Amino acid sequence: MMKQSEKRGWVGPCIAACCILGAAVTIGSPKHSAAIDLGNFDHQGQKVFRSYEATPETYLAADSGDRNLARFYELRQYPGSPPRIPHGVEASFSGDESNCLSCHGKGGYSPEFGKFVPVTPHPENTLCYQCHARVITEKAFGESDWQSIRPPRLGRSFLSSSPPPIPHSLQLRENCISCHTGPGAVVEIRVEHSSRGNCRQCHVPAVQTAPVNEFVRPGP
Amino acid sequence: MTTTNNQGDNEVTMKLNRRRFIRHAATSSAIATAGALFPGISFGSWPQLANNSGLVSWQKAPCRFCGTGCGVLIGVSDGRAVAVKGDPNCSVNKGLCCMKGYHSVQALYGKDRLTTAQVRKNGTLVEVPIQEALDLIADKLKTTRELHGKDSVAIYGSGQWTIPDGYVASKLFKGCLGTNNVEANARLCMASAVTGFMTSFGLDEPMGCYEDMDHANIFVTWGNNMAEMHPVLFSRMLANRKRRTNVRIIDFATRSTRTSQAADKSILFKPQTDLAVANAICYEIINRDWVNWDFVNQHVSFHRGKTDIGYGTEDHFAFKDQAEAISFEEYSRFLEDYTPEKVEKISGVAAKDIKYLAALYGDPALKVTSFWCMGMNQHTRGTWINNLVYNIHLLTGKISTPGNSPFSLTGQPSACGTVREVGTLTHKLPHGVVMNQHHREMAAGIWDVPLSNIDPKPSYHTVEMFRALDRGDIKFIWIQVTNPMVTMPNLRRYRDGGLKGDRFVVVSDVYPTPTTDIADVILPAAMWVEQEGMFGNSERRTQHFAQIVDPPGEAMSDTWQIIEVARRLGFEQQFPWSKEDYIEKIWEEYRRFHAGPKHEMAPYSVLRERSGVQWPYVNGRETRWRFNPKYDPACSNGKDFDFYGKKDNRAWIWARPYEPAAESPDNTYNFWLNTGRVIEHWHTGSMTRRIPVLHNAVPAAYVELHPEDAAELGVVNGEMVKIISRRGEVTMPAQIQGRGVPVRGMVFVPFFDESYLINELTLDAFCPISKQPDYKKCAVRLEKA
Ligand code: SF4
Repeated sequence: MMKQSEKRGWVGPCIAACCILGAAVTIGSPKHSAAIDLGNFDHQGQKVFRSYEATPETYLAADSGDRNLARFYELRQYPGSPPRIPHGVEASFSGDESNCLSCHGKGGYSPEFGKFVPVTPHPENTLCYQCHARVITEKAFGESDWQSIRPPRLGRSFLSSSPPPIPHSLQLRENCISCHTGPGAVVEIRVEHSSRGNCRQCHVPAVQTAPVNEFVRPGP
Repeated sequence: MTTTNNQGDNEVTMKLNRRRFIRHAATSSAIATAGALFPGISFGSWPQLANNSGLVSWQKAPCRFCGTGCGVLIGVSDGRAVAVKGDPNCSVNKGLCCMKGYHSVQALYGKDRLTTAQVRKNGTLVEVPIQEALDLIADKLKTTRELHGKDSVAIYGSGQWTIPDGYVASKLFKGCLGTNNVEANARLCMASAVTGFMTSFGLDEPMGCYEDMDHANIFVTWGNNMAEMHPVLFSRMLANRKRRTNVRIIDFATRSTRTSQAADKSILFKPQTDLAVANAICYEIINRDWVNWDFVNQHVSFHRGKTDIGYGTEDHFAFKDQAEAISFEEYSRFLEDYTPEKVEKISGVAAKDIKYLAALYGDPALKVTSFWCMGMNQHTRGTWINNLVYNIHLLTGKISTPGNSPFSLTGQPSACGTVREVGTLTHKLPHGVVMNQHHREMAAGIWDVPLSNIDPKPSYHTVEMFRALDRGDIKFIWIQVTNPMVTMPNLRRYRDGGLKGDRFVVVSDVYPTPTTDIADVILPAAMWVEQEGMFGNSERRTQHFAQIVDPPGEAMSDTWQIIEVARRLGFEQQFPWSKEDYIEKIWEEYRRFHAGPKHEMAPYSVLRERSGVQWPYVNGRETRWRFNPKYDPACSNGKDFDFYGKKDNRAWIWARPYEPAAESPDNTYNFWLNTGRVIEHWHTGSMTRRIPVLHNAVPAAYVELHPEDAAELGVVNGEMVKIISRRGEVTMPAQIQGRGVPVRGMVFVPFFDESYLINELTLDAFCPISKQPDYKKCAVRLEKA
């Protein structure tokens, strides 16, 4: 934080520099990243960049193929709600963070489940059961009239060939890498060009549920 | 795409080459799956809005479950609440919620929502227009008063009442109808916290705030399973432990919980002996000369009160404590009964663990925050144990500074805002108490009622109120936003009482419950953001919410229900507001009670804007730490601290002994019964069980047993156990090695499940000072069912 604010004066010129250099800056050879001042990324960009660097290479390749959007939303009550836990957990569901994060921290193949494990986009929150509920029964207590909005649609570029915007809020989902790359990612939203690291260089947040505000020049 | 890669090639490294290779290898399969998609296909397992505009607007509100008071943003589309996210602007939770908060909006949409009024006619409830039901309520109130006197009618609300709900209830009953029969379920959850504050500091509510968590080095949770009950705060503690190197969490409890698991150290004690351990910590602090003498000499005075004070299990029980000043020497002589070695025998806590705790509190280099909630409050010596933990902080001067904080948490979203601050308890007024002439004058003035209306004598506290209903001293009771037919201890007596022939029970609620089952009139209530209102959380934060969606059918806010009845009784002058701005008008009237630097509340316009505002709010500034002149504008003595609540300008240390529980295990009833909550469910589950995710996670209650006790009883997980107390019995499935593990000789049962009414077993003993019952301790025996 400190670093970022100290460097505030650099942000403008550096964004310009990023634009010119394009992916050269973000591809992330060790040599290069040493030269990159991460303080010049915006908050999320820096995080994404870092986690790209930390992502094991096998992750950019293998594909479990069994986690799709339908499954993804089945575990949720509305777009963005914390998913339920789709597998059994010890009744004690220990408060020890290693229980969940030992798999969901870094991902990887779980022989126990025969699947690649999805990676949490917010490993800084370690009290997992605070938000993620077990499923003991599917039987309802009573009927519900709950309805919510449709999940955001895919591939809605503003121009025919432009990179699609980020359709969802980034709150607790700032780390694109964790959901959009690797074998545990949801297939439909898995990117083919994960080697580019800094996602928000091209993909701008344009939350689909918010009205699009056109630029209007403020009056004099 | 190609261009950028080519540019990158100029800086090729081995690593990059490998990555690119892998990327290309993966391309074919990725394209195969992605290519099969129709752009714009929609998924989602939930029913989707028919006329979905596709747009969501986000509006702020405090979460409606629990006293943490997280700020939430509610997503609204086409007039319905469709999503929730944590409010990043709210300093309580900074954008994070727990599973109850995230799914809270689903509680609005259970299909069995009460949408019309119902009146019992010839034994069965029939639907009537709400205006007819309100006529009947007004009529019954009037005739009951005429026939049986002003104290034969009562209102029983809740810490889930909004501030305006509680305010109009108090104004109508205390101000207009002249009865102090106003109580709230918060009596069952934080009355001991109030009397603890009043006896130690002379003013209610915590001196610190949640920000203490970002400064403290040591957290001690006193009988407080924060990991489940205040999860967002607990997360903040864990985050602090992760971020800073010198943070430790010590869990001090009677049962091993998720909090114990996450803590650095778990210390278990025998029920009720926290009194002895707290005294032993003070003994050790004095004995080791860890007393902060500068602080004690300037800011502390010593007192003792009555001992052997009873348990209140009999009707008409009365008790009045009497404070007597003592010297420090007398106090430290009193503590000689509580050496760590002696207390080890009473409490089962090793003397070295007591010394360890004392060393943490006593180390001047460590900032210590103590948290507690129901474990200390639902205690037949609840006031005492609150006093005793303050003693520790006062002896060491660890109070009212960032990170040094004895912090009493509340359970309900507005236990502080509505019950403690508005004063919806029999002895209270919005400012002060009914016994005080000046306070009555102030209330009569602001309420525009004759002074003689306000009775200077308190009437019934909650347990006694339901006893009076059973006896027939109360004939009419109006219950709002709470479910006493699940939550009252010694439940059977009070349910039978409510069912007696000439009792008239009005229940305002959102879903059918065991309490609406005994009602003569049911009023459908607006829930949470279906109305405008305010809550007040544990850290003196007042949180406004606008009406965000419409209530269903004829459902009406509890505030407006009371206004409707008040007008029918002829109090138009006192309840003149219009539906458009009644909340604003009520707030501005109520705010007058708290004028002045000790409790100034923010104006309506500020509350509307912000995600909660802490009082005292003076000259546009919130007060984070009270009694500390750096933060608190009410301090005026020119010293480092000003404990202005007490006449001697000092905080009071109390000599309070260990006394046993009202009922302890014996040869026949050989187990302790402890009751409480789980993270998934709020109170009696009437809302959270209608939230699919939460119900499916914990669909039914269970009894937690120690594995060895289970083995002795011959039950395995899921087998039925019959629990029997002197008052009732219940048969329910066993849970062994679940999320909580009681010590040997104790069982634990969550109380959310109306199919297993555990409160038929609990005892209606209470703290004689606070009148708050003890739900954590009574004696039971077990049988394999
Ligand atoms: S911690 Fe309490 S206030 Fe916060 S989201 Fe959970 S239930 Fe709501």
